[in-house]
Amino acid sequence: MIRRNLSLAAAVVTATALTLTACSGGEAPAADSSKISVMAPFLEAQPPSADGAVQQKLEELTGKDVSITWTPNASYEDKMNITLASSEIPQVMVVQSKSPGFVKNAEAGAFWDLTDKLDEYPNLKTTFPDVEKNASVNGKVYGVFRARNPIRAAVMFRQDWLDKLGLEAPVTTEDLYKVAKAFTEQDPDGNGQNDTWGITIPKWGALGSNSPYDIIEEWYGAGNRWTEKDGKLIPSFETEEFLEANRFVKKMVDEKLINPDFATFDGTKWNEPFFNGKGGIIVDVDSRVSVLINLFKQANPNDFQNKVGFVGNLKGPDGELHAHPTDGYSGFLAVPKTSVRTEAELKNVLEFLNTMNGKEVATLLNNGIEGVNFTVEDGKAATIKPEMAEGKAVTTDIKSYAQLGTNVTGNNFYPVKQASDYEQEVFDKRVEVMAEDLKSAVYNPAAAFVSPTYVAKGAQLDNIVADARIKYLAGQIDEQGLKDAIKLWKTSGGDKVQEEINKLWQDSK
Amino acid sequence: MTTSTVDVQAPEQAPPPAPAPGRRRRFAVHFAHYKWLYLLLLPGVIYFAVFRYAPMYGVSIAFKDYVPFLGVNASPWVGFQHFQDFFSNPDFGRLLGNTLILAFLNLGIAFPLTIVLALLLNEVRLSILKRTVQTLVYIPHFLSWTIVASLSFLLFALDFGPLFLFINSVLGTDIDFLSDPAWFRPLIVLQEIWKNTGWGTIIFLAALATVDQDQYEAAIIDGAGRFRRVWHITLPGIRSTIIVMLILAIGQMLNTGFEQIYLMTNALNRSVADVFDTYVYFVGITQGAYSYSTAVGLFKSLVGIVLIFGTNWLAKRFNQSGLF
Repeated sequence: MIRRNLSLAAAVVTATALTLTACSGGEAPAADSSKISVMAPFLEAQPPSADGAVQQKLEELTGKDVSITWTPNASYEDKMNITLASSEIPQVMVVQSKSPGFVKNAEAGAFWDLTDKLDEYPNLKTTFPDVEKNASVNGKVYGVFRARNPIRAAVMFRQDWLDKLGLEAPVTTEDLYKVAKAFTEQDPDGNGQNDTWGITIPKWGALGSNSPYDIIEEWYGAGNRWTEKDGKLIPSFETEEFLEANRFVKKMVDEKLINPDFATFDGTKWNEPFFNGKGGIIVDVDSRVSVLINLFKQANPNDFQNKVGFVGNLKGPDGELHAHPTDGYSGFLAVPKTSVRTEAELKNVLEFLNTMNGKEVATLLNNGIEGVNFTVEDGKAATIKPEMAEGKAVTTDIKSYAQLGTNVTGNNFYPVKQASDYEQEVFDKRVEVMAEDLKSAVYNPAAAFVSPTYVAKGAQLDNIVADARIKYLAGQIDEQGLKDAIKLWKTSGGDKVQEEINKLWQDSK
Repeated sequence: MTTSTVDVQAPEQAPPPAPAPGRRRRFAVHFAHYKWLYLLLLPGVIYFAVFRYAPMYGVSIAFKDYVPFLGVNASPWVGFQHFQDFFSNPDFGRLLGNTLILAFLNLGIAFPLTIVLALLLNEVRLSILKRTVQTLVYIPHFLSWTIVASLSFLLFALDFGPLFLFINSVLGTDIDFLSDPAWFRPLIVLQEIWKNTGWGTIIFLAALATVDQDQYEAAIIDGAGRFRRVWHITLPGIRSTIIVMLILAIGQMLNTGFEQIYLMTNALNRSVADVFDTYVYFVGITQGAYSYSTAVGLFKSLVGIVLIFGTNWLAKRFNQSGLF
């Protein structure tokens, strides 16, 4: 599948895009207000079935004939760029990030500017205006953002190992080092062999991808992509704290406290070393806590408590907590002008999105169908046990349908009741820890800004620094090499990006 | 040869009338006479016009700032801007170097190996053994690069891959083959050899079958050994095939195999792994810079054309028949 997509992709660009010729003359079919087409990513192994119970219920609740093009998350960005160059453009498109491909099209007028339009719709008028601004392109809102918890960073560790070695849960980055060292050298699994390491890091290395590197740098005080210094914004990797944080990670790599294949380790296997007792620590989003607990639960339903421990963000060497927040959204639902021609058609689409974020549909997308896969207990959605095939199908499908949820007015659905008291306790603690960390969050001050130079070559520029960071950690280059890469970033166009970002920042004040 | 075909096809037709004065008239007569042959040619011409030449219209976006929403026609012209950007880009030298090095490694190592393997197979006298080996060496060609890459990952995996353990214990080293930039090219060439050498022998084996057997007998009587016979009879016998295959291989040389390289690339070996094909994908598709990446692709095609004409010219110079 990937293979096919890739060759298709390569064919489109190199073989000069026969489709491009066709698209310029492509006419959208006459609007039928009872039909809505949507393009969305799915993260499961299979897309939901087109005639499943959730789909039927969705069409019933919205009163529309909804056709959804599900696209694998891994190749979504590619597929979106290709779709934009084709004649088959959906009326609602999940746009995952303000990528160059999206921004160029948006600035040429390919998407409706919704800046002043959303407030008319009660379920689309956001209660998080700051996040809406973050999701905008220099103040212009091109879509209904998909809200996400602003704080998600957490440190997960093997609680049983920690207990066995008589250690405390980490509070500072220095504690993290100590725990990782003990997990590596003190035989936490008690098999008498030196076969464990501390932290498992996957190959994610891109800048600003909320990777463990990004998170640790932020804890050190490097900032979040852009950092205000002397009244100016500088990229976070130009701070002294960035270098300090990477010296810290490099020390752990050198002492073998991190998996040796961190540059090539597949992110989809991230849980395996943790579960198999190889690497005892993961730095990632807090929702992974539940995933990990579930793994242990499936392996042994009678003994899964006290396997997984977690804490939130860690204090840096300066004794302060610089919590790592996301931008508060994960992409947005945009409306292309090619498929939605008139204001009247736009109104129809926005009304649909308004219904989608109402309580009924939000509940469907996130909880499922009451009486089929869940019941409401104490205001929480509890999974019906034992799970029937019908309920199971709904539970599986909503993992994908949740991608269509925007929740810009807060969560209009039931919180999920956890399967056991232990899991409920862990879940409540997660909510509590994240709420506490939110007070110390250091945001990206340039989240809303898109610089033209960055659109043109930002990703290649960022790759210079991202690759150098990994090479430095792997010992291929020294610190001077890392600094040289940062200099190369600046001279290859980074200086211009910085100038443009600062101008946008000043203008917005 | 052509004449005989025509005679067979149109035996009942009158011989072509005497050439009339005027070029156009002459052509019309010629055309009328051979109309069925031209009709046979038509599907091919249409195929090339529609599927090969018409899409070249899209190449124009290399000289435009193409935005899908505006379409090809409405996007503004920017002249050679994208080419200038590319040539002044620090990536340019690296991409060209990586592409050429990989291309010449493949050409210099994998191509001769194909001939060597074909010669070896040709020398096998036991028919059943020959056929079995032939089939076995074809099989890897039918595996996709995804599978070849996965196999490599397993074999060379850090700390548990069998080849990783074996080679490092023999050499007493600690090399991570998958991320060490120095090992990237050897791995790529090895994969290429493993996957495609067997398949490449097909044409050469066909050519070897046409070599005159009498010459071998004569050589044996003259007392020539096996190597002498290969050197003086077999190789000269398939020389023209080798030249044609070489020209074709050089034309394909810059197509370094997108999938293979894309799958084997990671942050640590990217400095030697980035080639034109992966760059076009990365910049064009994932970042939506269609115009820029089309310019890069066009440049690659131009280099390919220069190479193929250059080799053809060289082949003719050295008194060999070229491809065209």
